[in-house]
Amino acid sequence: MRKTPASLSWPLIGALLLFSAFPFAYLIGLSLTDSTLARPLNGFSGLDNYADALASTAFKSSLWRSALFAVGAALLQLALGTALALLLAIRGRRLGWLGVALLLPLVTPPVMVGVAWKLLLAPVGGALPEIADTLGSSGFNPLGSSLGAFVSLLAIDTWQWTPFVTLLLYAALLGVPRELLDAARIDGASTRQLLRHVILPLIAGTLVAVFLLRLVIAFKVFDIVYVVTSGGPGFATTLSAFDIYRTGLQDFQVGEAAAATVVFSLLVGIFVTVVSRLHKRVREVAP
Amino acid sequence: MTTSRRDFLRGGVAFGAAFATLPLLSACGSDDAGAALDPSKSATDLDGVKLKVLVNQPNLGAWRIAARLFEQETGATVELTPIPYDKLTSNAIRDVQSGAGEFDVFQYWYVGLGDLVDAGALENLTDFIDERRAEIRPEDFLPSIYDPYTLIDDRRWGLPFDGDTFLLFYNQELFDRFGVQPPQTWEQYADVTRTITGRGGGNVYGAAVMGQQVPIILGCTFADRLVGFGGRFLDDSGKPALTSPEAVAAAEALFAVSPDALPTPLQTGFDQAIPAFLSGRAAMMEFWTDLSVMASNPEQSRIVDSWRPIQLPVGGSNTTHGTSLNAGFGAAVSTLSKHKEAAAALVQFQASPRSQETVIGNFGTGADPIRRSTFAAPEFRRTFGQAAGDVQAGLSGQPLVWPNSVGAVDRLQTLVDELALGIQGKQSAREALQKAQDAWERG
Repeated sequence: MRKTPASLSWPLIGALLLFSAFPFAYLIGLSLTDSTLARPLNGFSGLDNYADALASTAFKSSLWRSALFAVGAALLQLALGTALALLLAIRGRRLGWLGVALLLPLVTPPVMVGVAWKLLLAPVGGALPEIADTLGSSGFNPLGSSLGAFVSLLAIDTWQWTPFVTLLLYAALLGVPRELLDAARIDGASTRQLLRHVILPLIAGTLVAVFLLRLVIAFKVFDIVYVVTSGGPGFATTLSAFDIYRTGLQDFQVGEAAAATVVFSLLVGIFVTVVSRLHKRVREVAP
Repeated sequence: MTTSRRDFLRGGVAFGAAFATLPLLSACGSDDAGAALDPSKSATDLDGVKLKVLVNQPNLGAWRIAARLFEQETGATVELTPIPYDKLTSNAIRDVQSGAGEFDVFQYWYVGLGDLVDAGALENLTDFIDERRAEIRPEDFLPSIYDPYTLIDDRRWGLPFDGDTFLLFYNQELFDRFGVQPPQTWEQYADVTRTITGRGGGNVYGAAVMGQQVPIILGCTFADRLVGFGGRFLDDSGKPALTSPEAVAAAEALFAVSPDALPTPLQTGFDQAIPAFLSGRAAMMEFWTDLSVMASNPEQSRIVDSWRPIQLPVGGSNTTHGTSLNAGFGAAVSTLSKHKEAAAALVQFQASPRSQETVIGNFGTGADPIRRSTFAAPEFRRTFGQAAGDVQAGLSGQPLVWPNSVGAVDRLQTLVDELALGIQGKQSAREALQKAQDAWERG
């Protein structure tokens, strides 16, 4: 068997080492040392940082909260995105002004998204509480309760990212062969049967890939938490990325933040592995 | 040349090991801080020297005035870089730790002083100050702030810049409309808040209580009550005193008023509380003395003629009004400055009576006195107007000092986290403070 020339792979190896191996090795180094912002890598501390991170109520609770947020956001956006993509596909191949409208939330900087929603939801003077008040529902203040604040973040994230999902799935739907749909219709398939037995199996691989993509991005969400709720009320919206930021850059406990990052990465890795396997399985059985 | 999979893996591991050692090497190298400040050496010729200063955004106006005076007097150029108050400590540490050394002078929040010293970010100014006692006149600095703002381990690391204190502001027009009197105690404050909110019909609230879960906001709100009840963060031996009866009473007072405050305290920060007070929707709020300037500005305020300042209320058995050093800043020389003598001269100049009185004499600078002599200056009386007496009383007394040792910012965050859970109703005041006390004792 002919071997690949080594020189072709060195740029890739270099890039991987520079952008992946080095930061990861540095992260591990920080997590195993008594590192503060003032004194990084200041003496080996074993697994103390990991013990501290796992003893932190805020971090522990942020893990399941992040998982709930990521899975919930990805599923919700997948469902909405699929529905919207189907409606767009029925409408035809030209998006026109709808394309611009879809891209708007996507191209808006997340910080601006957060600021806009924070103003909309402000309990005093906010547009949505004012509307609720006009409709007879006074005291509307979703950011004031734990559940309300969490659902609000989910809604804001969904507002921003559903168009992205829609566009990807719309592109996948355009790839479904017209002949297959026509043949199914001639065979007497109803719209529901067409969707369930022809269209969804054909785009299943894309659906899982998009879900995976959204899952990873949703796990990393930080900006809207920072701007809209700052993790509150209490710790109700403290997701792991925000807690790690707080620990490392506000409390200066860089070692503990690095350990928390490693633990969080393992959690994300578990989810990614499961969904990746699902993706592989779907591609194997896809028509 | 060809490679097998095994060669590829071997090469990767070797590269990985090499890269992994780089941080250790860079950490070793980061201790190189350059030549230390020579306290006996004066910066005689500053003409043409360019100094870069990292400053707190709300204090930019004050720095511009001080910098202009310094430039006129010395011929030096001062370049100011404003950043948010909560980034001052971390940005200064990163500037030094990274080796960038972009700044010559750091403005610092005194609570972060211990972390800055621990990071090796600040020049030791003890000898510099001793050499220039006659010019600097340390005895003129307010005793209540000089040590907390500059002293760590019996050494001086900077000079005071701004002696920030809190007052309680209220809206006289709303008080007249609802038939209530300015509160002298935190119990009365709660009654007034309940009365106005209850009768305000959702349009007017008794108080804006700032409870956002960061030390500079919720920490201030708690500290105002803590000093009112006669409590302290640390006892005389430096140990945490968060479970004292005074501290528990302060937290209970905070939790009790929250349901009647502008909705909701945990969402309320500067950008919610100030507009609510200046628009007449909140009848009271605690804030720095800067609020008097904003409230007097008709472009910002609808309560130009109706706002009034009073000292913070008292509580429990304490009958002495006090204030808390809730912000408060100093200026220090970076260990990586290439112009240390010139930087030290700027630090000295900004704390001089001349600079201080000029800064305070300008509306909108947000600066409070750091020297006793400033209280006698006409500029102080003119700018602070009806708040002047309360500011002088607060700073001349024994204001509540926040911890400023290594890790103080981290410990204060723990405290406000627990207090936030208490405001949310998830734990009692005693439970919240006991958890914070335990965390502070663990260090």
